[in-house]
Formats: sequence, C-alpha cells, structure tokens
Amino acid sequence: MARAGLGKSIAALGFAAICACFPACSASAAQPPVGEDLMVTTSPVGHAGGRLVFALRSEPKTLNPVLAEDAASQDVIRCLTADLIDINRATQKTEPALAKSWTVSRDGKQYTLHLRRGIRFSDGQPLTADDVVFSFQLYLDEKIDSPQRDLLVVGGKPIAVEKVDSETVRFTLAQSYAAADRLFDGFAILPRHLLESAYRGGTFSQALSVSMQPSQFAGLGPFRLKEYVPGERIVLERNPYYWKQDRSGNRLPYLDEIVFLFVSSEDTQAIRFQAGDTDVIDRLSAENFAVLSKQQAARHYHLDDLGPGLEYNFLFFNLNDLGPKASPDLAHKQCWFEDARFRQAVSAAIDREAIVRLAYNGRATPIWTQVTPGNKLWIDASIPREPRSIDRARDLLKSAGFSWKSDGTLIDAKGLPVEFSILTSSSNAQRVKIAALIQDDLSHLGMNVHVVSLEFHAMVARLLNSHDYEAAVMGLASGDADPTAEMNVWMSNGDTHLWHPNEAKPATPWEAEIDRLMQQQLVTLDYAKRKRLYDRVQEIVAQNLPVICLVSPDILAGASDRVGNFQPAILSPYTLWNVDQLYVR
Amino acid sequence: MRYLARRFVHAILLLLAVSFFSFALLQLAPGDFFDEMRLNPQISERTVEAIRAQYGLDRPLPVRYERWLGAMLKGNLGYSMATNSAVAPLLRVRARNTLLLSGTATALAWLLALPLGVWSAAKRGALGDRIGALATSAILTIPDMLLFLGLLLLAARTGWFPTGGMVSPGIGEANFWSRAKDIAFHLVLPAAGLALVMTPVLMRHVRAAMTEALDSPFIRAARGHGISRGRVLFRYALPAASNSLISLLGFSVATMLSTSMLAEVVLSWPGLGPLLVESIFSRDVYVVVAVVMLSSVFLVMGNLIADLLLFVSDPRIRLENE
Amino acid sequence: MKSRRKLWGALILLAVFHALILFAGFFAPYGFAVQDREMPFAPPTRLHFTDARGKVHLRPFVYGLKDDPANPGAYVADTSELYPLRFFVRGAPYKVAGLIESRLHLVGVEGDGRLFLMGTDGYGRDQLSRFLYGGQISLLAGLLAAALSVFLGVVIGALAGFYGGWIDELLMRGSEIFLALPWLYLLFAVRAALPLHIAEWQVFLLLVAVMGLIGWARPARMIRGVVLSAKERKFVLAARGFGASDAHLLFQHVLPQTYGVVFTQIALLIPQYVLAEVTLSFLGLGVGEPMASWGTLLSSLQQYYVLSSYWWMFLPALLLIPLFLGYYTMADALQERLKSVSL
Repeated sequence: MARAGLGKSIAALGFAAICACFPACSASAAQPPVGEDLMVTTSPVGHAGGRLVFALRSEPKTLNPVLAEDAASQDVIRCLTADLIDINRATQKTEPALAKSWTVSRDGKQYTLHLRRGIRFSDGQPLTADDVVFSFQLYLDEKIDSPQRDLLVVGGKPIAVEKVDSETVRFTLAQSYAAADRLFDGFAILPRHLLESAYRGGTFSQALSVSMQPSQFAGLGPFRLKEYVPGERIVLERNPYYWKQDRSGNRLPYLDEIVFLFVSSEDTQAIRFQAGDTDVIDRLSAENFAVLSKQQAARHYHLDDLGPGLEYNFLFFNLNDLGPKASPDLAHKQCWFEDARFRQAVSAAIDREAIVRLAYNGRATPIWTQVTPGNKLWIDASIPREPRSIDRARDLLKSAGFSWKSDGTLIDAKGLPVEFSILTSSSNAQRVKIAALIQDDLSHLGMNVHVVSLEFHAMVARLLNSHDYEAAVMGLASGDADPTAEMNVWMSNGDTHLWHPNEAKPATPWEAEIDRLMQQQLVTLDYAKRKRLYDRVQEIVAQNLPVICLVSPDILAGASDRVGNFQPAILSPYTLWNVDQLYVR
Repeated sequence: MRYLARRFVHAILLLLAVSFFSFALLQLAPGDFFDEMRLNPQISERTVEAIRAQYGLDRPLPVRYERWLGAMLKGNLGYSMATNSAVAPLLRVRARNTLLLSGTATALAWLLALPLGVWSAAKRGALGDRIGALATSAILTIPDMLLFLGLLLLAARTGWFPTGGMVSPGIGEANFWSRAKDIAFHLVLPAAGLALVMTPVLMRHVRAAMTEALDSPFIRAARGHGISRGRVLFRYALPAASNSLISLLGFSVATMLSTSMLAEVVLSWPGLGPLLVESIFSRDVYVVVAVVMLSSVFLVMGNLIADLLLFVSDPRIRLENE
Repeated sequence: MKSRRKLWGALILLAVFHALILFAGFFAPYGFAVQDREMPFAPPTRLHFTDARGKVHLRPFVYGLKDDPANPGAYVADTSELYPLRFFVRGAPYKVAGLIESRLHLVGVEGDGRLFLMGTDGYGRDQLSRFLYGGQISLLAGLLAAALSVFLGVVIGALAGFYGGWIDELLMRGSEIFLALPWLYLLFAVRAALPLHIAEWQVFLLLVAVMGLIGWARPARMIRGVVLSAKERKFVLAARGFGASDAHLLFQHVLPQTYGVVFTQIALLIPQYVLAEVTLSFLGLGVGEPMASWGTLLSSLQQYYVLSSYWWMFLPALLLIPLFLGYYTMADALQERLKSVSL
C-alpha cells in the first residue's frame, strides 16, 4: 500500500515538475513545437525584447495588401505579412520564404511551389494551399482592381493558380517569363478563414482599413497589429507564431513592438531622429544627411551612404506626334527636338558634376544610362561616360544646321532663335534645382531656356493628357532591379513611354529595335543572354537619347547605435526589409 | 424669434452656396488623386481608369455634386481617396485636435489681451501704453510663418520642447493623467506661438473699443459726478464697449478652425491644417470639401453667436429688429 | 501733432526703402541670376580694416573664401589676398525701371574677390542683390494686389452701402461666401491653364492679380460701413433734397469721405499681400527660376537643413520688419488723423 502511494507521489511530483517547465518554456523565445518547418536565418544572433520607433512621412492609407500602393502603407504591411518567395534586399536575389522550394517546368511556364509545413497565421490558424489560392484570387479579381494585378498578367493572360495538394500550389503562365520567381515578392498571403466572407459579400475593398480591429486580420509577418491612433501612430506587436528562427533556435522576431509615428514631412522626420524620438530613418535627403552627420557621435546614432539606388533623373523632350493639334510654335520646336544631334548636344553641354554637387550635396552619382551603378547585375559598364564638353556640343549643333548670331544666340537653319521651356514639378526641390542648373548650362550654347515649375498634377496633365510641353525634367525609380519592371517605359506602346506614350506603332527604327529586344529578354530564361539583350537596349538609348540621363541620388539611411543587425539596402524598403532580424541592444 | 429664424435660414443657404462653389472650384484645377499612379510603370492605364471609376471620378460635375449632396444630407461626408475610408470619422479626430490647440490659444490670447487692452486704454498716453503699442507693433510686423519656424528651430536646437506631434511615442499605455500631461507638454509651443500671434491684434481692438467708450460724453459726465475711476471703467465703460467686444468674440469663434492652420503645418500638430494642405495637394476632393464646409459652419456659428449675444445684451438691437 | 510726426517718419522710412529697391541695380553688387557654383551657401562676407599683419587700412577690404578642409561645406577666409572695397564701380549692365541702362554700381570688389554681404544661396547667388531685385517683384505684387482689392472693395462696398436693401444683402452674403472658399484651387487652375511661353514674371503678376481680386471682401465691408454713415450726413441729405442724382451724390459727396479709410486699408493690405506672396512661393506658386522675389528667397527656409545650418537665409525676413513697420505706422497715423477729422 505504502509503495503504491510513494510511486504515485513520485509520479505526481514528476508530473508536476514537467508541468512547471511548460509555462517557462512557452513564455520565452525558445524551441518551437515539433512539426513546424521554420526557416533558419543566417544573420547574427540578437536578443529578445525592446521597441523600435520609426517615423513615416505620411499616414498609411490602408492595411489591405491587395489595394495598398503608397510607400507608408507598404512599409507597415510588410511587417504584418509574408510572401511565397522573397527578394533578399542585400543580395538582390530571390530566396525561399513561405515556399520552402519550387520547381520549374522545362518550358518555363509552370512553377510548382511547396509550402513549409506547420506554419500558422498570427491568430494560430494553420496556413494551407487554400489560403494561397484565395490570396491570388483577390489579386487577380477584376472587380477589386488591385494595383498589383498587372504584374500577374504575363503574355496578355493572367497567371493561373491551382492547388495541387494542401502544401503545394502550381502557377501556370501563358508564356515563359524570365523573372517569374521575382514576381512573388510583395504578394502577401492572406487568411481565407477571416476574409472569405468579406470577399463573397463584395465588401473586401473596405476591409482591412487602418482603423480595423486587430482581431479582424491575421498575417504571416513578424508582427501583428496592436493599436492605431489616428493622426499619431500605429503600434505593432510581436507575432508569436512567426515562422523564422535564428541560428541558435530562437524564434524571431526579437523586437516586442514596433511603433510607426506619423510625421508631416521629411524634415520633421530628420528632426525627430536627431532628437532621439525615432530609432531608424531612411529616404534621407542629402541636405538633412549633412545636418544629421554633424551630431553622430554626440547623439549616438550612425548614418550610412549606400551609394546610388535605382532612381534615375533625366531630361527629355516632347517627341509626341501631335499632328494638327500642335501649336505652330511647338511643331517648329519639335523639328529641333527630333534631331538626335540636338539631343546629343544638350547632353554634352550639361554639367552633371555640378548637379551632383549643388543639387545633391555630393550625395549622388552622374549617370549616362537608365541603369544606375547600384544595379550591379544589369548595368552595362561599357556605355561611355562622356565628360562635359561645350566644344563637342557646338560641333554637333553645327552639323545639325544650327549657327550663332553675333551676340551668341543660337539660331536654327531657318534663322529663328532656339528657345524652349523645361517643365518640372514644384514640389521636388532637387528637380527644380536640376532644371535651373541645366538652364544655366544651355545658356553657354546660346539657347534661351526658361524653367516652368508647375504643381505636380498640372505637370502630369501636360505630360500625359494634353502633351502640351516642350521639355521636362523627371525621375523614375524602378520597382525592382530587373528590367521587366520597366517594360512600360521602354516599349513604344507603353503608358509610361514618357516622351511619346502609347504609340500605335514604333515611331522610329530604334524604338522598334528596343521593342524587339525588350520582348525577347522577357521570355529568355538565361541570365547571360538577357544581359546581352538589355545591354544593347542601353546602348541604343545612350546613342539616341530619348531621355538624357543625369544623376542617380544615393540611398541614405541611419539608425540609432542601439539597433542591432541594421543592414540598409538600396532596394525599397531600405531599412525595414529585415525587420524580423533587428534587435535592440 | 423671427430674427433667429431668418439668420438660421441665411446660414443654411450660405453653406449650400459654399458647398456648390467649392465643388466647382475643385474641378477647375487639373488632375486628380490618381496621377501619381499613372506614372508608375508597373500599373497599367486600364487599372488606373478602373480605380478612378470606383470613386466616380469619371462622371460629370453636376452628377457628382448631386450624389455628394444627397449623401451629405444623410450624414455621409464621402470617402477619402487617400485612406479609402469615410471622411467623417477622420474629420472628427482632426477637428478635436485643432479645437484643443486653437481653443487654448484663443483663451490665452483673450486672457492677455482683455486686461492689457483695458489697462492701456485707461492709462492712455502714459509710458505703459506707449510701450504696449510698440510691443504690439513689433510682434505684428513679424510674419507668422517666421515666428513658428523660429519656435521650431528653438525646440530642435535646445531640446526643451518636443519638436512636433501631440503625444510622445509609447505613451499609449499610461494612465489618464500622464497622457494629459504629455499632451499639455506638446501643446506649449504651438499654443504659445499662436497666442503670441493673436494677442496684439486683439489687444489693439480692445483698446480701440475701450477708448471709444471712454471718450463718449456720458463717461465724462460720470467722472464729473465724482464716480471713481475704477467704477467708471468696469461698471460704465466696459459694458458700453461690450458691443465691439462681443463682435470680436464672435470673430474669434468664427475663425477657430482656420487660425491655427499655419501653426499646425509648421509644428506638425495633427489637426485640420495639415489634413487640408495635404488633401489639396493630392486632390483628395471630398476631404477638402468637407473641411471647407466645417470651417464655414464655424464661421456661420461664430457670426450667429455674436449676433445672438448682441441681441440679448443690447436693447437697441432688439428694438430695431422687432 | 504727434500723428504728423509719425506719418512723416513712416513716409521717410518707406521712401528710403522703396528707393533702394527701385534702384536695385545700382545698390546691388551683382545681378540676380549670377551663379557662383564654387560658393554655394557661403556666409556673409566680413569687412575688415586691419589685415593679418596688424596694418590698418583706411579703405575696408574683404578676403577670398576657400573650402574648409575640416568641415565639408563650410568656408574659411583666405588671408593671402586682400580685395579692397571700391565705390561707384563699373559692373554688369542693368536697367532702371526697365528704361534707363547703366553700369554703375555703388560698391564692388575687383578681380577674384567676392562681396556677399548677405551670404549666398544654394546656387552661389548673392542674397543681397537678390533681396533688392526681389523687392521689385514683391512690392509690385503687394501694391498691385492691394490696389485691386481696395478698388473692388470700394465699388462693391459703396454700392452695398449706398443702395442698401436687397443689393446690400446680396453683396454681403456674397462676401461671406468668398471668405469661406478654398481659393488655392483657383490659383492652381489659373497657373496650370496658362501657356508655357509666357514670361515667368507675367505669370506671377497674373496670379497676384487674381489674389487681389479675390480679396475684396474685407475692404468692402469697411467701405460699406463708412458709406452707410456717410450717406446720412446732413450735407448729403441736403444735396439730395436739391435734386442731385445718385451718381453725383456718390462721386461728389459720399466717396470722398471714404478716402481716409481707403488709404488706411491700402497701407494695411500691402504688407499682408507681400506676405501672401511669400506664402504662394512656399506653396510652389511663386515666380519661377531664376527670378528673385522675397517669397522665393524665404521659401528655402521651408527645408530644415537651411533653417538650421545657414542663418543668413533668415536675413531677408528680418529686413522685412522695418518695411512692415513703416506701412503699419503709416496706417496708424492715417487712422489717427481720420479720427481727429471725423469728430
């Protein structure tokens, strides 16, 4: 009797001891339960806890990944969601995310993705292939009109998504597509169990607003929504079910909380960073970088100049075929613009170094091609970087039939003085500066240029609607390093083929050649072959100068010294792309 | 009663006219909210057009106005294209913040201007009055924008005051008193700046009203009777000046939403000012119209309150309108 | 009379200021568009009388500037070379009031020397010169807008006050509506609709004119008040009794009584419209590059790095204060005279 009692007591004690372990185990960032196929990161190990404060330049418009288009919304959504295949911002190459592996069919048209096992949403519900199929249904739905839908239309037909089994999904494209694996980055996987009823009820477009209740959404990202205070901040808290762990087996993320503060402008962002209110800052302007760098040691933060990003600023002329609608003044000027030698002369006369020095405080790189040095995989290093030469410009103009009056004014073959206006957006201080510097440069050639800085919408109306402008200074920032992101710019029938959008057929032989090359690189799967094709595109652009590329601004970011694993990159989102690995010392 | 009713009807007509003209004005400026999307190479024009159609931006002006009016009468102020959510809740929070700032500043300004104005009118010509006139002139000549920029610079350089916003990050969990203290701390700079801007003008008007009252014959008679200066000032002159002062008060209420706009924009106070500026620049039309309407309501209310108070306090006006 | 002294004081101050600006070409060492790309954001040049070796010169001189190796973006004086100040020098040509051409400048330095008495902006352009030339645009804008506002205000206010009744109601309600509308949109629309090859300063003056035309509401109310009391004056009633027509009454008897208020209003409105021009420039509707106006000079202060690092960019704002003081004092003096007259 006593022995049985003792045995029971020991068993009871033992059982109690084991039970006592469990609360301690589940509270810390320790070993994950069996059955979850977590991704192991290679970054240095940090320690858990702490809060990071980040300032957003504008309030996020929505937390709905299907509808978000602005940077602030996307910054926050990236922390709340995850996608199938990620583009690692540091290496600029793809890596597995929610899909632990994938196979490509021989013709390059079918991608079969295998999901990780045992992954759960932030509310604890499991992830299955049904969620993936549902998510892509939302992105492709024509009634919802997601801004990302066009990315999924390849060869004129939308991608077909089908479930193979509960852990495998197959994507079928209408034609082989070179950068298909890069497509998946940015397409967040959404929970069917929470959103299907809204979708069926037709109210999905109103769902997932910034002011939603945290319980209305569950994501696969490192954080989940905790609190939203209108006009002030959004607070995210750690997602205990996140599917990544570090090398020591600690479940990520390290941080307990992220606070996104809303500030009204970039200057306020800089002020608050300097004052220590925020821990990380990105998209810093060159001038604020100079101001902040003076106090780096005193205020315990450090700034990084990452070199040129993907943005390229350029000058271009109105090459639209306006026919009878053009005013005689504009039609006459287009005769000059359409001569490639005129454009080459303008390019030769522009002092790019001065633009770097005066408009960007030295924190930019002069460029002669639309691919910036930051895009290491695709830049054509053989494009000549011709230094500024007024003499060469004059020779080019002479050969094009221009001459000079005695007072230095440039006149064309008909004897009319060369004068035109450069359009720019008044809200972008750097571009206004660039235009003013170009105006001064071209006055050395005898051209009478004046700068018209219009409000942004007025400028867009002239560029894209009425085509009533002469020259303009603009900038584009590629969404991705890969050339396919810019198809609409270089294809002659593209909407953003800025100097002459939506051409019915290519207006010049070189534009036809670019069309052919771009279409070909789209379906070529071998990187070396694609590089050669795109190099040729860059050469044609550099020779014919539909856009005169000027400078690419450097990516500038900074963080407080107490932030660990800070690895800013030149692809957006520059600093928070590895937010799951950031920690606070 | 009839007087009230008449003013009320006028107010409604005014608001209607303001709404119509605002809508028309908004249509004149080129472009709409989705222009930036059109410059994105990764979004096709077809998609942009579809999104525009969702908000009814492809319909002609009269149709849109009609729909907006109908919705507004039911209490629906439309949708903000920027946040894809209803305008009314957005406005509520922002208006509350603005009223907090401008209310505090207006109260401060009146607290300063009233006694100072009365005192300088009473001691007209004395050294105190001359110094006061000089000080108000000095402050008046400094452009508001520069004053606020200077305050911002002061905050940034010295760190004594927060450089913007209404609350500190991480204050959300604290109790009510901590939060109230935090907000008050953030309120100091914008409210002080705004009060500084408002006080000179108010003080001049108070002084002018009091001076006019003090110069009138019946005051001279009262002094002649031997009534003390203090009694004359407060019991006789001040009520006589009250007409102008009430109009001034009405004006303060009427401009309650718009005076703080510049301060809010420069010092990042999350009120209607930054919302309006951002909406105008991004062409978020329904937000702009809603803010304009709200400001007009205050304008009308301010005038109405002033007229009402005048009606109640001044028997001459009552008789005139019976 | 104290108000007389005040008035004369203000008038003299304003006359000096306006003369400086009218003859901007003479007083400015450089043109407004001259860029010195090696010297962006240079601090104000200091005048010296004693050189590095302790020798005192009768004629003040300046040193050249070179980059400070320890502090990128800053400058140090290059004491190796002295550039004495010269007066009544021949410099770049300019036109006085667009008519008379001249090359005479009040001060200048020779050779490589630079005289930036108020520092330079981001393109290396002399701020003092741009302030003086900019004053031409800004003051013209202020005068134009104020004149238009008051003119419209007189017309509408007089009609409302004189005829009363439903005309008065209509016009006053209209003024309330005008005060409430977001006029920024109209300015955007006007700017966007203009063809591209109109000169920048013409565009700008057009915007200013629109602004002036919009601002009739407050002057109108004031004028209406004056007209209301003016038309009840005994001599006006007498003239009416003699059979004078409405027009005669208005122009001969009523309107002259408004002149005091009109001039006071103009004096008060000019600084306000100069400030409105500054605000327009802050919003991107200012006069285009490379022209200068006080608004474009100050709009660079919107950027924090300018505000915190380059204190001399504040100077144009400080120089506005005496100008505003002049106008407000003049308005004050006029008001006091009005009071003393009308009693």
